[in-house]
Amino acid sequence: MEQSQNNTGQNLGIAALITGIITFVLAVIPCVGLIAIIPGIITIVLATVGLSQASRNNSPQGMLIAGLIIGILASLISISQVVVATKIAQKADKWPEGIQNIINDVQDNVVKDLEDANVTIKVESDGNKVEINTNSNKKDRENKLEDLEGVKTQKNDTLPKKK
Amino acid sequence: MILYRRKSNPVQNPEVRLRNEPYLIINIIFAGVILLIIAYSGIFSPEKDNYPVICIHEKLTGEPCFSCGLSHSFSLIVRGRIDEAYHWNRYGLRVFLFFASQLVLRALFSIFYLKYRQTRQQLIIFDCIGSAVIFLISFWPFITNILSGV
Repeated sequence: MEQSQNNTGQNLGIAALITGIITFVLAVIPCVGLIAIIPGIITIVLATVGLSQASRNNSPQGMLIAGLIIGILASLISISQVVVATKIAQKADKWPEGIQNIINDVQDNVVKDLEDANVTIKVESDGNKVEINTNSNKKDRENKLEDLEGVKTQKNDTLPKKK
Repeated sequence: MILYRRKSNPVQNPEVRLRNEPYLIINIIFAGVILLIIAYSGIFSPEKDNYPVICIHEKLTGEPCFSCGLSHSFSLIVRGRIDEAYHWNRYGLRVFLFFASQLVLRALFSIFYLKYRQTRQQLIIFDCIGSAVIFLISFWPFITNILSGV
């Protein structure tokens, strides 16, 4: 009875391991994890072909199984990176609208704060100093304007808005 | 009657012996990949900003990802500028330490594997568990990012 052991599929196993380890390192890094799916598939194909050859010729399969496991793991991580990137991209479409709302809120708050703010203006020229202190509250400004004009302000005395 | 015959004696032929040792091949390949990463970090300069790898994640989503600035960070760590490396990517140092530790561990475990034949099985199990723990600690921010997204 003669029993022989050969190394069929071992070269494929080494190739699968090399691509598998490189794929795994790529897959865990988000920057390049998205493209790791391609070498991941190559690893699985190499390991599967090697395993089928090895099982037919009674060759050792340890390296091929290791390559297959690393390839599958790396591909799964890469797929999850793709899913994450897709979700972020979907959220990113809604962001401009959200940012515009935030800008509008900030503008409204600034205008509201300025309406109630105390404003002091100091002008100095050739030794002459002029200081104007005013409470810029809308009601105060209306009263001040009435005092200056000496008449009651009319309701519709403002310029029409631009269309 | 011949019960078992080999074309070549694996003890005398190192190439055949190596092919029958997947653990050693994995160690050699992984160490080679790590050396390539370190060489990449050393060759490309953060001053010139001539890195060939771009962030595909940022190109697709328009948002920088967790690993943006990792190449800069690695290059600065290789040059001993740890503080600057932290500013480029705050996880850069821990990821670099993972690769550096794995380079040392691959060499050490390969030596132990060849030296102590009786404890090979235990050595492989210990290596798998230890490396998995170091990997989880080093890449935990990236893993949580993936899990939160999925």
